[in-house]
Parts: sequence; structure tokens; C-alpha cells
Amino acid sequence: MGAVFIPSEFGIVFLPLANVQVKAGDKLRITSRYSHRGKAESVPLYAAIGNSGWAGFDEVLNASKTINVPETADWQFYEDYVDITITTALAKGLYDLYAKIGGTIPKVISPTLYDVVEVLVTGNSEFGEITINSYAKV
Amino acid sequence: MAQYADIIEIVAPGEAQAGSRVDITVKVKNTHSGAIGIMVGGALEYGVSPWPGISFPEPSANVGGGVTQSFAGYFTMPDKKVTIHAYSYWYGADGYWYFDDEMTKVINPAAAIESQFGSIEIVSYERRL
Repeated sequence: MGAVFIPSEFGIVFLPLANVQVKAGDKLRITSRYSHRGKAESVPLYAAIGNSGWAGFDEVLNASKTINVPETADWQFYEDYVDITITTALAKGLYDLYAKIGGTIPKVISPTLYDVVEVLVTGNSEFGEITINSYAKV
Repeated sequence: MAQYADIIEIVAPGEAQAGSRVDITVKVKNTHSGAIGIMVGGALEYGVSPWPGISFPEPSANVGGGVTQSFAGYFTMPDKKVTIHAYSYWYGADGYWYFDDEMTKVINPAAAIESQFGSIEIVSYERRL
């Protein structure tokens, strides 16, 4: 399945987003665009899968990587990605996504994308039946 | 004291970000009673030799007697304190430019602004095997 690209958010037009189907063992690549100006800095780019609710974002899986931004006087835009490995910690269902820059106290947080990750669960190993197809002297 | 082309002011910021374009204006007054040709030039002193020049897209003009003319120029701010040297010249009847006046002004490098992140948005998500 190809990447799902988010349309730019102009005005108040609501565009439902396609979800991406994943299962344990897959990786989900989340690409973010961010803006920066000022001194050069190395900071974590962080993304999480979970459920957004009244109490905040309940993260189930997350990942981060260090990004390096150069010193610039003016606002510059960059893109980078984080890969989250899908594990059995995610039960079957739909999940939300968000990304941020920074650690415990984030410098900037993305809008949450709702119900965009659908986790499929593969059942345990099972054998259904067995039959003898042939028999011969060897 | 200048003879004819008196530099009365250099308009420039007190500080500028290293690497940024700095726009300046050199104001020159024609102290002669009649119109004369006036030209400006400029150089930057900050420890390199020869001194880099200042760009003046229109460095000369015919200026009426007693009139002050503004000449716009620009340069790229180095990463250290720089002294602007502005020079004026007047055009003689013999067809030569004669150096007349000099004025200086110091521009300090501005401290780099702190790191700021303005926004972040997820632009795509995809399954990777």
C-alpha cells in the first residue's frame, strides 16, 4: 500500500483521511513537516500511535529520532520521518496519530489525525484438517 | 570639512544578523551654490584586506546647489563588528572626480535568535514491511 498523503489544511473544508492497515511486525512511517528558525539545534522528532481522548493522547506505541536543524535567521521548512514498529501491544482496531518535536516538554505538537491507523490481528497458528492424499511403497 | 560634497549622515542599523543584507543610505549635501555631480563610494573595515566594497546601484547624481541627495547602498553583514566608511566625490570641470568627504559608522553583529520551532504537521503515513 502506498503512502497516505495529507491534504493541506486550508479553510474549514473537512476531508476524511484514508486509514492505513498494519499488523504486528510492520513498520509505520510517519512523515512530518515542521518549521524552524534561530540557532542550530539537535532535538527529538517524536511520533505516537494511540487514542486521543478527553484526558489527552493515550499512547500505545511511539518512536523518535534526533533531527538536526541548521542556524537560520528566517523560517525554514523541513520534512523528516519516524518509523514505529507495530507490535502486539496494539489490539485490533482504529488508532490515532500525532507527532511532536522535543521531549517531555514539547516545543511544538502536530494536530491529531483520528482513526487513520487500522490494526489487523492475525490469529494464532491453527491446523484445520489433515487427509492422506496417497500411499506407496518406497 | 568638505569642499562641496558634504556627507551629513549614514543611515544604517546599529546591528545586523551575520549573513544578512544590510541596507544603508548615505546622505550628501551639495554645499556649492550651483548644481554639481556628486558620487559616493564605500568600504567595509572588519579585519580583512583589501576592504570589501559597498554596492551602490546608482552611485552618482547631479545635485542642485544646497540640496541633500540620498544614495542607497547595501552589503552582506560579516560575522563581526564592521565599520562602514562612506566617501563622497564631486565632479570637476576637468572631467575628474575629486575625493571630498568621509564618514564612518559602526554596525555590530546581532546575536543569533534562539532556536524556535513554529509548527509541525503530519504530511503522510505509510506501512513499511
